[in-house]
Amino acid sequence: MRIGTLKESYVADAALFDSRTQHVWLAIAAAALLLFPFMANDYWLYMACLVAINIASSAGLNILTGYTGLVSLGQAAFMGLGAYTVAILQLRWGTPLALNLLAAGVVAMLGGLIVGVPSLRVKGLYLAIVTIAATFIAHFLFANFDFTGGTSGLSMRPARVFGTDLDTSFRLYWLIVPVTVLMLLGAANLFRTRIGRAFIAIRDRDISAEVLGIALLKYKLLSFGLSSFYAGVAGGLFAYFFRVITPESFPLSMSIFFLAAIIVGGMGSTLGSILGAAFMTMVPELLKLVFDLLPGGADLTVFLAPVRLVIFGALIIVFLVFEPLGLAEMWRRTRRFFHLWPFKN
Amino acid sequence: MNQQAMSPRRRGLMLGAAATGLAALTQPLAVLAQDASEIVIGGSIPMTGVFAFAGVGINDGIQDYVKIINDAGGIKGRKVKYVPEDTAYKVDVSVAAFKKITSQNKVNVYYGDSTGFAKTINPELERNGNILMAGASFASELNDPKKYPHQFLVGPDYTEMFGILLKHIAKEKPGAKVAFVYSDSEFGRDPIEKSEAAAKQLGLTVAIKIMTAAGSVDVSGEVIKLRRAAPDYTIFHGYILAPIPEFITQGKQQGMKSKWMGTFWTMDSSTVMKMGADGDGFMGVMPYRYYYDTEAAPMLEKIRAMRPEYQSTAYTQGMLAAMLFLESVKRCLDAGKPLTGDAMKAALNSLKDFDTGGLIGVPISIPGNSIPVGRVYKADMKAQKMVPASDWIKL
Repeated sequence: MRIGTLKESYVADAALFDSRTQHVWLAIAAAALLLFPFMANDYWLYMACLVAINIASSAGLNILTGYTGLVSLGQAAFMGLGAYTVAILQLRWGTPLALNLLAAGVVAMLGGLIVGVPSLRVKGLYLAIVTIAATFIAHFLFANFDFTGGTSGLSMRPARVFGTDLDTSFRLYWLIVPVTVLMLLGAANLFRTRIGRAFIAIRDRDISAEVLGIALLKYKLLSFGLSSFYAGVAGGLFAYFFRVITPESFPLSMSIFFLAAIIVGGMGSTLGSILGAAFMTMVPELLKLVFDLLPGGADLTVFLAPVRLVIFGALIIVFLVFEPLGLAEMWRRTRRFFHLWPFKN
Repeated sequence: MNQQAMSPRRRGLMLGAAATGLAALTQPLAVLAQDASEIVIGGSIPMTGVFAFAGVGINDGIQDYVKIINDAGGIKGRKVKYVPEDTAYKVDVSVAAFKKITSQNKVNVYYGDSTGFAKTINPELERNGNILMAGASFASELNDPKKYPHQFLVGPDYTEMFGILLKHIAKEKPGAKVAFVYSDSEFGRDPIEKSEAAAKQLGLTVAIKIMTAAGSVDVSGEVIKLRRAAPDYTIFHGYILAPIPEFITQGKQQGMKSKWMGTFWTMDSSTVMKMGADGDGFMGVMPYRYYYDTEAAPMLEKIRAMRPEYQSTAYTQGMLAAMLFLESVKRCLDAGKPLTGDAMKAALNSLKDFDTGGLIGVPISIPGNSIPVGRVYKADMKAQKMVPASDWIKL
């Protein structure tokens, strides 16, 4: 328990950011996000955008899997629905970016609601299999309709905002990162509401939740819908970012990636989504940079590439063994250490 | 409270991880200054993942050619530097590799690992304007100089590969019945529609088209359909190996007399030899000579001297890509032109009857984005080699 955070009202008690220290850190983080594009090169900007997209999608999956306890391996399919919606709207009707992203979320949400129906009858691994089916159905639809461009997919023009083409990582950063921040704030706030608490109750014991008056079907579908909405918007950002989408852009392995991200990051934690997605996206790249420090150049690259993957896999195992609650719990522990320092913690 | 305690070991581990991360983050700032005169070949190379079987060979091929050129003094005295990155055959990682390499080096030419990457990075290439790119993809879509002005294919595109096979079939057995068996993927579907029309033009009949899942293993239903169609030739595309051996084995067991054929990514010697005895006589299109070809080829002799063990056709592809890259650069420098994407592509397109040192058996020209030439080779399981079954065929 932290000292010096006296609450005088329930509103203050439920506040998302409740201390001056948090406000200071948030201001520093916001300043860092604002300054980053002016200091980073194209590679780091690209990685920042990619991490942000992955965070947005992971946050959505965390609502469904981490908070509601419904395992899903369909996140990539819902991202695909969002990406194709954006691409089709842009190419056919030239609709504006904001509308396209919103539509991406809504279309993916509808997909999520359909896939979510069986969640009332099946859960755990069985539900995971149902959501895998969604991936295959989505792939089939993307690959076989003319308006989705078949197996060749669709190539898009850059997004255009106020007469400016968002065609570089620098420009896209100002779209992707703010949208992701908004989505994260939305996710964090969700769990201060009745809806979010209902999700948690369902996760902890669905029968008890029903006894408490929580309509299981409604809230499970809502969770699926919200999660898919997040995936859809993330898919829309993905489409604007890569500007080429094909049925192969959203494989099952991508869904597994997001599931791994929230497990490594910490299920049932918004911070976990951020840390997990950042870990899964950045660690392989950081390992490359570390390996680049070794002498040997191109000769060594071919030998070190598989070693790097092994180390990445081992790192995930180590984290899960030593910290099953994920990176978010490590973060919390570190924070507690500094809260109590210099006293023994 | 004890549960929340941070042990010294854990703290040490975390500090170690933080230090490693910091070192990694600051590393790009410490990149050694690049020699301004260096010619840089960047590469998104799939050294791990599903395409690693080819990526390692491609990497070796490019690296060896760079060594040959540098040992001979470089290009007009300028050394060549090769900067590869592993991509695990993932488009987002390939793009990250491109961004990283181009942020740290003034890249002149670039090798990409997939069709997805080639399509995704194309707007970036156009914006950059100073990079010429080729890669592992033979997608027909990329064979469009207007849409992909700074890219080229290191061989015929998939439709042209089919064209070479169909031309061979039409010559060997006029009016033959042909079957297309392909995977349900962008790769698999690529040449099918156009090749059906091409077959008709050559007086051939496409008896059946069978699409299978990309990784399918049980193909007994498809084999029955194929047997009923009784083709004289069956062309597989969109696979590396599976399910081709299953088709051939079951087809032969059911008395099929079809000749079996494949396209480039199936045709490496080591891949075909895995088909076992049933693969004897398996044919396919190959734009390059095999490592062990005995016909006069100075570059093959050089390769064999450098690497006494068998080198895959992916190796040859990588080496030829590097050769064409550097020939384009050389022609630009000879003409006193700047190394822009446009100038290098124009230099590439100026190649007329260019001698590849025997990597391709005939002199080549590159009027557009592809090299529309190839040869039909056949598996000799006894000799464990691919042997020529036709002369070089130009489209």
